[in-house]
Amino acid sequence: MTAMAPDDEQMLVARLRAGNPGAFDEVYDAYRPRIFAFLLRMTRHRTIAEDLLDEVWLRVVRGAPRLLPDTRLGPWLFTVARNLYWSYRRDAVVEESSVPELLTLWPCPRPWPSPFELAAAGELERRVEHALATLSPQYREAVLLVGHEGLTPTEAAMVCGISPEALRQRLSRARAALAQKLRETPAVPTLKRGFAT
Amino acid sequence: MTIDLDDEDDDLRTILANLRRYDVSHSRARQLRRRCHARLQTEPRTTAAWMVAASPFRGVVIPALGAAWCLTYLFEIIRYSGVISAYFRSQ
Repeated sequence: MTAMAPDDEQMLVARLRAGNPGAFDEVYDAYRPRIFAFLLRMTRHRTIAEDLLDEVWLRVVRGAPRLLPDTRLGPWLFTVARNLYWSYRRDAVVEESSVPELLTLWPCPRPWPSPFELAAAGELERRVEHALATLSPQYREAVLLVGHEGLTPTEAAMVCGISPEALRQRLSRARAALAQKLRETPAVPTLKRGFAT
Repeated sequence: MTIDLDDEDDDLRTILANLRRYDVSHSRARQLRRRCHARLQTEPRTTAAWMVAASPFRGVVIPALGAAWCLTYLFEIIRYSGVISAYFRSQ
């Protein structure tokens, strides 16, 4: 979550544009877990998050030569991930609405508590994960980008394709909704760790 | 985080910032890295390293040359207009 110095980041971007594998590795190692965690919390489905993660990095390779020298890597990578998530989501909605009989076969919100939630270490963390999961995707992405990933509201607004002011409003509502859901969420029953995969 | 949060939000902010990190398995991460490296080798590079290094220079020199050409063109038009009008005045 630590921000890279602007000069270091510009050097890294320049090397990435030139197709340097070492530069790619630096970016990949620094951002892969963050992007994956973001996608996992957005999709709530590990397999889909893994597939989207693959596509994010392949797009990074394709898009790297066209990067501007002053590109901020964090916001750019989260923008790619977010766009892929919304694209996946739109496709899933189209499929679900056009073939209602297949609806039950598509990934849908799991009955709580999900294995993902049970994997969380502590009781409080499980409650927060559950409360996050019940937020709308628009609220969830705002909370995750600013609250968890440490992006500034301006950067998060860029990622979400809205104005900074709109992002601030969305974030404020999202935080209020999250706090309300946390108050309403009862304690999660403890299950065996063997289920938490 | 640069947004203003009141005291009631402090706990929530701390919890969110410290949520667990997740990652794909080592084998999957390695496999994806290999795929990306392979793509890096084949991806056409529109910007060679020397072009990246020269980009600030190009950003100054090319507009300056363009501006100089425009000014010279304008100067010549004015000069020729003066020559033509002087010719007609002398008739």
